[in-house]
Amino acid sequence: MSELIVLKDLTKIYKMGDEKIVALNNINLNIHKEEFVCLLGTSGSGKSTLLNMMAGLEKPTKGEIIISNHHIEKMSEKNVTKFRQLNVGFIFQSYNLIPTLTAMENVSLGLTFKGVSRSKRNKMAKEMLENVGLGRRLHHKPSEMSGGQQQRVSIARAFVAKPRIIFADEPTGNLDTKTTLEVMDLMTSMAKELKQTLIIVTHDTELADYVHRVVYLRDGNIEKIEEKEALIKGDIV
Amino acid sequence: MSKLDLILMSIKNLWRRKLRTSLTILSVVIGTSAIIVMLSLGFGLTGFMEEQISQWGSLTTINVHKKWADPSQPGQKEVKLDDKAIANFKTIPNVVAVSPMLQEYGAVINGRYMAQVPFRGIDPDTMEAFGFEAAEGRLLNNKDELVVVFGSSMIHNFWDPNSRGVWREPKINLMKDRMSLTLDPNYGYGGASMGMGGGKEVNYKEYKIKAAGVLTEGNWETSYGIYMPIQELQKMVADKQKAEGQRQSSRSTSTEYNQIDIKVDDMNNVAVIQDLVKEMGYEAYSLNDQLDMMKEQAAMIQAVLGGIGAVSLLVAAIGITNTMIMSIYERTKEIGVMKVIGASIKDIKGLFLFESALIGLLGGIFGVGFSYLLSYVINKFGAQSFGEAMGVYGATKISIIPIWLVFASMGFSALIGVISGYFPARRAMNLSALEAIRTE
Repeated sequence: MSELIVLKDLTKIYKMGDEKIVALNNINLNIHKEEFVCLLGTSGSGKSTLLNMMAGLEKPTKGEIIISNHHIEKMSEKNVTKFRQLNVGFIFQSYNLIPTLTAMENVSLGLTFKGVSRSKRNKMAKEMLENVGLGRRLHHKPSEMSGGQQQRVSIARAFVAKPRIIFADEPTGNLDTKTTLEVMDLMTSMAKELKQTLIIVTHDTELADYVHRVVYLRDGNIEKIEEKEALIKGDIV
Repeated sequence: MSKLDLILMSIKNLWRRKLRTSLTILSVVIGTSAIIVMLSLGFGLTGFMEEQISQWGSLTTINVHKKWADPSQPGQKEVKLDDKAIANFKTIPNVVAVSPMLQEYGAVINGRYMAQVPFRGIDPDTMEAFGFEAAEGRLLNNKDELVVVFGSSMIHNFWDPNSRGVWREPKINLMKDRMSLTLDPNYGYGGASMGMGGGKEVNYKEYKIKAAGVLTEGNWETSYGIYMPIQELQKMVADKQKAEGQRQSSRSTSTEYNQIDIKVDDMNNVAVIQDLVKEMGYEAYSLNDQLDMMKEQAAMIQAVLGGIGAVSLLVAAIGITNTMIMSIYERTKEIGVMKVIGASIKDIKGLFLFESALIGLLGGIFGVGFSYLLSYVINKFGAQSFGEAMGVYGATKISIIPIWLVFASMGFSALIGVISGYFPARRAMNLSALEAIRTE
């Protein structure tokens, strides 16, 4: 399997007044194409920082982030944005839908920035919302939907442009157990189908069952890496 | 992000906050119309002054005189106002015509009526070029001798010296009546005409004249005057001086004139030619001098008025900035999300700048509309009292909105919007996506 993401000696130090906080300490990690990885750790372990840096939202203090041969840490803000538009989808814990837009508008927003024509992006958004089971809620606003439904909209938004990598930051943190299972099933099966790489950040060990590899983080260091026999739908023949 | 999407999204965002948007626009409307109306009053004033000055005489004529030789500067070149000077002036570009000019006061006698008037001797061939038009009869030509052309209001100047103060409409036909003229300065006032030299009685000659025509209504200068070929008037002046016992001054016999008029093709070229003539060593005067002074005054008044208007637009601009900052605070999270899901900083900046530009532009458009309304009301109800305050009755328009001002103010208010929105837009642009999405 080819390496999609390569992290070399990745270090991030925050300055809080005079104090220096090491959020990430010399992280070396390779993530393959189409691999599902879970970054597991308690709060303060540096997992979110790692995710943000892979997504180009934060610059490392030291080290390299290479995604399909591009050095993310060296890119200008403009190019990182372009890179994100083309390659990355995001799913957040608190959904982060825009409250004034309908489900369909939220899903198509990313496509708007990409410059996709109106009719095309509406078609794509509608298709994607149907895939996540919200075909009847196209014109509802986030406030008119349950948490699970909102997260589905957010998943649809992340997947609609068919990016190569999906980053999910505590995607089930606000959901109950039943909905968590539904959302995880949905996410992993879609990523599988679209041959995407999925990186999930969580403190919930149960999500580890859905991935190929679990990276345990503690205090900015990789504690251990666990290879899993993933329970991904479709993997089981 | 396509331009159309950006525009639609901005409009949608503004529409989302209807009340706030419309209040901000209202402030721009007030600011813009304050400036436009104030400036329009200035334009009205300038137009009014121009109108008034053009009644005094032609705005495109330059009067050239001889410079009084300054004895303290012996090196000064003596210039002559002769035919050579005329030929010289004719070569200046944009000069339409040049004529010598001699003015002499006297009286015209028509039966028992008379009129005191300025006689003006000019070059008959240049009359047309100087803008004279005959309402009746014809203009002068170079074969005319004791032939004159009357100014349009001349007929109202005739009166009966024996009527003892009771004025009756004189029954006069300028074109057909037999008339004569005299250069006697006291004609009609009774008493002996005294010469300037001593106490001797002077016998002024009376000349029989024929009217060639009457001029169309012109300005104050041409309306009350009688025009004749300059050679004729020069002869009469010579006769007068002889009668008064004065020694003939060289001026009246030689070809030197005491004034030369230059007609210029356009008002805008007057100043340049006037300076040129001054450089040649002459004294040059035109109504432009007055006009410039008045225009300067009007411009100053306009600047003060515009300044007052500008203050309210400044307040409106601060209002726009405030509105945009508020909107960015509200939408911090939204901006962060947009950044994360692929909005470039250019898109974000574009969105906010366009929103504020739109506020400015809409304010400008409604402001122009509102200004027209105000201007109409001012002209309709304010013109009379304003005109009376200025000492002129029947002032036409005191508020004039030139068409360029309409577009300039729309553009300007949109620009104000962009400038006001720039700081907030930068703020949105530099917002950290991470911090924004963390905001709960």
